[in-house]
Amino acid sequence: MIQLFHVSKYYDRRPALFDVTIRIEKGEFVLLMGPSGAGKTTLLKLLFCAERPDEGQILVQNRNVARIKSSQVPALRRTMGFVFQDFKLLPKKNVFENVALPLMVQGVSSFDTRRKVAEALKAVGIEHKKESRPAMLSAGEQQRVCIARAIVNGPLILLADEPTGNMDPDLAGEIMELFKTINARGTTVMIATHNRQVVEQVNRRVVTLVQGHLASDEGAGQ
Amino acid sequence: MRRLGYLVREALTNIRLNRTTTLIAVATTAFTLACFGVFLLLYLNLRGMASSLQDDIKVIVYLHDALTAQGVTALQHQIKAEPEVASLTYVSKEQALADFHAQFPSESHLLQGLGENPLPASFVVTLVPKFRSSDAVKRWSDRLRSVPGVAQVQYSREWIENLAVVVGYLELAAVAVGTVLSAASVTIIANTIRLTLYARRDEIEIMRLIGATGAFIKTPYLLEGSVLGALGAGLALVLLKGGFEFFKQQLGEPGRFLGIEAGFGFFPDHVSFLMVLAGLVLGFLGSFVSLFGFGRVRS
Ligand SMILES: Nc1ncnc2c1ncn2[C@@H]1O[C@H](COP(=O)(O)OP(=O)(O)O)[C@@H](O)[C@H]1O
Ligand SMILES: [Mg+2]
Repeated sequence: MIQLFHVSKYYDRRPALFDVTIRIEKGEFVLLMGPSGAGKTTLLKLLFCAERPDEGQILVQNRNVARIKSSQVPALRRTMGFVFQDFKLLPKKNVFENVALPLMVQGVSSFDTRRKVAEALKAVGIEHKKESRPAMLSAGEQQRVCIARAIVNGPLILLADEPTGNMDPDLAGEIMELFKTINARGTTVMIATHNRQVVEQVNRRVVTLVQGHLASDEGAGQ
Repeated sequence: MRRLGYLVREALTNIRLNRTTTLIAVATTAFTLACFGVFLLLYLNLRGMASSLQDDIKVIVYLHDALTAQGVTALQHQIKAEPEVASLTYVSKEQALADFHAQFPSESHLLQGLGENPLPASFVVTLVPKFRSSDAVKRWSDRLRSVPGVAQVQYSREWIENLAVVVGYLELAAVAVGTVLSAASVTIIANTIRLTLYARRDEIEIMRLIGATGAFIKTPYLLEGSVLGALGAGLALVLLKGGFEFFKQQLGEPGRFLGIEAGFGFFPDHVSFLMVLAGLVLGFLGSFVSLFGFGRVRS
């Protein structure tokens, strides 16, 4: 499903990622660990084509995203969901409109949009807030809206960057359970976090990065 | 269909959110296009005048007094057969005298002392349209002068030539002024769209990240620019029409201007339509320019 071969990415000649090789199978649940500045966000951005690698090859669903034409990037992104560290919700649109955005840009009919958005909101447990603006929601609720937006398309791969960032352990636990449920339905999930507690909670494969290098890869095949 | 609705709504939202900027952009565009419009109006009217003069052009072929009636008929057939000639009227000596008396009653006495009718017979010739250019008229007249029986050939050459020159210069000026002002309009609208793009840069980035194509993201801005351009052109037409009516009133009743009816007219409908279309295209170009720069900076 996802393969990285000797991938390096440099910012101002300093490696943010160096010679990273990883293989992730369909349906896996992977935690991407590492201290701040380890290169976790950079790795996710590469998978999402928000950045291009300087060295190495990246296969996502058997497509070489290191060489993909920019005109094909939108089609690739439509098969993936992304939960951004800074949420990236539109402040002037309500929850329904925010979650519907990925469907909107694909020209999904309004009937299907209503159905799919309702499903996604139900999956994350905030269907009662669909008229609210993001600013009126708590951090946990905003994160749920982001997750709903990421899964509304029925993506094959779900990527999340520090989704439990500033949350207390209980809330973080709830959010991680949500990801597990999504994973149980067949979506490949990859979550970047620097939070050790999360690792204990989840008990799945953990890929650790340190200063851009792959430091360890444990618990694969569980 | 649904996407189109969304894109149009987005464009209208942009326009509403930046009401002041939009207003300024439309007003500036309107003013710019109105300046060009003044030129165009002048040019089109003078060109119309020149071409109606050109249409009016008549060549008068004076005949030798010695020519017999058969000679006149033969010459008439000969001239009529020329490919340049559209129609031809014979004015006899008597007719010419009567015309003179009718046109200049107070000068009638000038001819009285001469006893015999001094005015020559003539043919008044109208040429076919494609031979009405000053060059063609001159060539044909020169050739006709050497035909036996023809005493003199006359037409109002110089002044038509002068007007043609003026119209030619005006055409050049209109093209130059038009180019400069069009570039100005494009720049104005490009700057307006750039402000909108800047204000909505976060939203645009989010759209990109969730898989919107470049075309989907750009369409609302292209629409916005086109609408601004078209509105500007529409307003320019209103301004021009107002100014035009004002001047017409100042000048008073349509008089005679250099011998022609001073029928100064406003743009015909199709030209007005073309102006609005031109505004729309300029606005579209403005958006295009700013989107091009925006895409380059971001990728
Ligand atoms: N756009 C960028 N420009 C320059 N340096 C960057 C950029 N993005 C990340 N970096 C650098 O790359 C390294 C890895 O960053 P990042 O992937 O964000 O780490 P993490 O998400 O693990 O905290 C850091 O040293 C960071 O400063
Ligand atoms: Mg990060």
